[in-house]
Amino acid sequence: MSKKLIGSVTEQEKNEIQTLFERRNGLNELAMILTAENEALYEKLVKDMGETGTKFQNWWNTMSAKYQWESSPNGNWEINFETCEIYLVTNE
Amino acid sequence: MLQYLIIQLDDTSASYCHYSNDKKESRLISVESLKKGILFAMKENLMIQFVYPNFELSQEYKDAINTIDHSDIVPSDCEDEKLKDNADIIIFNNWKELESYKINENGIYVIRTYKSELFENHLSLNKFLPIAKRINVVITDIDSFDENDFEKYKEILSSLSKEIEKLYVEGKTPQLNLLTDRMMLDKMNNCNAGDENITLAPDGKFYVCPAFYLTDGNEDYGLGKSKFSIGDLENGLEVKNPQLYKLSYAPICRNCDAYQCKRCVYLNRKTTYELNTPGHEQCVVSHLERNESRELLANIRKHGIFFPDKEIKEISYLDPFDVRKEW
Amino acid sequence: MNMNIKNSNSSWQSGMAKNITFIVTKDCQLACKYCYLVGKNEKERMSWEVAKQAIDYILDNEQDFREESVVWDFIGGEPFLEIDLIDKICDYLKSEMFRRDHHWFNSYRFSFSTNGINYDTEKVQNFIKKNRDHLSIGITIDGTEVKHDINRVYKGNDERGSYKDVVRNIPLWLQQFPNAGTKVTIASPDIPYIKESVLHLYSLGIKEVNINCVFEDVWEDGDDKKFEDQLMQLADAIIDGDYFRDHACSFFMEHIGKPMDPKRDNQNWCGAGRMLSIDAAGNFYPCTRFAQYSLRDKKAWMIGNINKGIDKNKLRPFFTLDRCTQSKQECIDCEVASGCAWCQGENYDAAESSTVYQRATAICKMHKARVRANNYYWNKLYRKLELEGIAKEEAEKQMKQSSNNINC
Repeated sequence: MSKKLIGSVTEQEKNEIQTLFERRNGLNELAMILTAENEALYEKLVKDMGETGTKFQNWWNTMSAKYQWESSPNGNWEINFETCEIYLVTNE
Repeated sequence: MLQYLIIQLDDTSASYCHYSNDKKESRLISVESLKKGILFAMKENLMIQFVYPNFELSQEYKDAINTIDHSDIVPSDCEDEKLKDNADIIIFNNWKELESYKINENGIYVIRTYKSELFENHLSLNKFLPIAKRINVVITDIDSFDENDFEKYKEILSSLSKEIEKLYVEGKTPQLNLLTDRMMLDKMNNCNAGDENITLAPDGKFYVCPAFYLTDGNEDYGLGKSKFSIGDLENGLEVKNPQLYKLSYAPICRNCDAYQCKRCVYLNRKTTYELNTPGHEQCVVSHLERNESRELLANIRKHGIFFPDKEIKEISYLDPFDVRKEW
Repeated sequence: MNMNIKNSNSSWQSGMAKNITFIVTKDCQLACKYCYLVGKNEKERMSWEVAKQAIDYILDNEQDFREESVVWDFIGGEPFLEIDLIDKICDYLKSEMFRRDHHWFNSYRFSFSTNGINYDTEKVQNFIKKNRDHLSIGITIDGTEVKHDINRVYKGNDERGSYKDVVRNIPLWLQQFPNAGTKVTIASPDIPYIKESVLHLYSLGIKEVNINCVFEDVWEDGDDKKFEDQLMQLADAIIDGDYFRDHACSFFMEHIGKPMDPKRDNQNWCGAGRMLSIDAAGNFYPCTRFAQYSLRDKKAWMIGNINKGIDKNKLRPFFTLDRCTQSKQECIDCEVASGCAWCQGENYDAAESSTVYQRATAICKMHKARVRANNYYWNKLYRKLELEGIAKEEAEKQMKQSSNNINC
């Protein structure tokens, strides 16, 4: 595995993805304890997971287009929340 | 620096401030303690203020009291008419007594009142303002003010302010602590109990003020006994953390310009646990008074020159705590 | 050039998170000799009803809790003794924050300080799996077996040390939380073991050791000199052994030991009042140290309860506390003031009157000893790096990132 610094985002942009990241983790852990018996909350969760997932992907699409980040077929991007830096992580 | 010694002559001596005195049984200070207290004041260069019960003292007490220059704080229902006639300050605990009292032009009168009574009876102050040398209104349940009370209080101050303006235009100089004090002040003029004045109680011990003596022995307002002494006649004063009674050690108050505020350490202790920290209600009430004093000053000036060197700035807050980040 | 000096990790969302502590039990398997919790007992266990009411109050009043993030903290006694309750609380918190669209759902953590004895139990492990991305768990291990067992003993008459029961769980803990640090507390009898203890913790794979002296008045004549000697030996070991590149020890902070400006550097040290602590009876405190079981001589500083809510007046002293107003002139004028910590609860407990405005200074001579050893550490490290060809400016730039964590 290799990790290459390919760019960075602004503090505000970082905050956007960090919030989505935290929310996605929260939803995933909530999904482990919610059952379909709690119908209203379960439906709210499923809907939110879909929306958050879409927003998450949109952020990466928008940012990669904006900053023209290098990509790789067998790699993925990572962000360091402390430094706002973006890395390309590839399995070699 | 210590300047005054308040001597609470009896357990039933009238309250002249925010605290209440619910004691019904008389317990006079001993003549020996009284004389020692007077001696203490003489040696420390302190002016004495005696706080009287409603019964007449024996000649032995009167003789001791008359050995020193002093002020007398006397309840309006005191049986000693001669004392009342010559009192420096007369205290009323209800509005009815005030209404029927023969107010004289050299008198200083304290009316202790619940907020609800003040809201109901404030118009009767208009009758006494032109006559009395000075009227002090002391609200005894400030800590219970809510948003509605603040609104109501603001209206009442505005109404009183108009009356005072009218009197000034007529050439009179009425004094009402709530409104006229702030117009004249350039710096804090607080109660300063524990710093500039202390109290000698009937038990021969010193207290920050009568409130810390009169409070029930078990009362703690949630944080240890609020009744505590700061020394006695035998061993002198022993004030723990004396700096906390000074303005410079009160973060909210040292950044405040509601100079007329009593900055009552007893109310502080009761509402926030800390002697140096006022509660929200005390701050807002004082700022409503401050702001209305500003209006009053401006309105009087419409009629001519009036204290041209005094200025009360316009501010956007009612509680300095809310703007603490700007200090 | 990258200096590669390991700095202490600052705590999660430091300064932006509300810390809400559930005192779930006042019981613990241990009876640590330095423990400030003087009123531990087996009876006061939080009930689910109290916990739920507290949570409902807090989440119902979102307008009074505007902090961006929240750390739901669980302490005891030993919190994992109440793992069933904690599990129920955390499940409820997650679903309620979500159901109410509370802003904290996007930014929360569950935090634990544990003695580590129950860490590997099935219930605790299941809990960790369920909440893996939102957990911060610190296991307290004090160093070598000898050092650990001086203080961290089981309750009962035999005073059996707990080291072996804790250390067996360290590999699992580090596997699950590789960046986790441990807290070490130093009282007078621990001083001779400081160096070997820190190195021992490094050898266990713990890369961050947050260590501090207790604030209580426990120090004996000569302790400062012994402390300074230990820290100098530790400094040598960390620098000569190149540990500084990937290990951290909070005793050594580049920016401590400087004079402080009375106006510019006048902030309070402690976060009491900005936190909220809830006990088994449903009472609220500005920090756990103000609950009755933490106090030796003073009455609990209660700021409300789950029925009446928080009395904001009782928090005003904490929000207006500053360094100089609570310090003696000697502290204000101190030439090595920076980094000298205090605990508001200990200040209150040790004060001559019922106030948080009197700073306890029992730690003074220990801080001064630490500053001397700290100066030695950085002078020696700078020189070493200089000889390796790294410019001092670059070194300073890197080093200034150190945080200044103090354990409460």
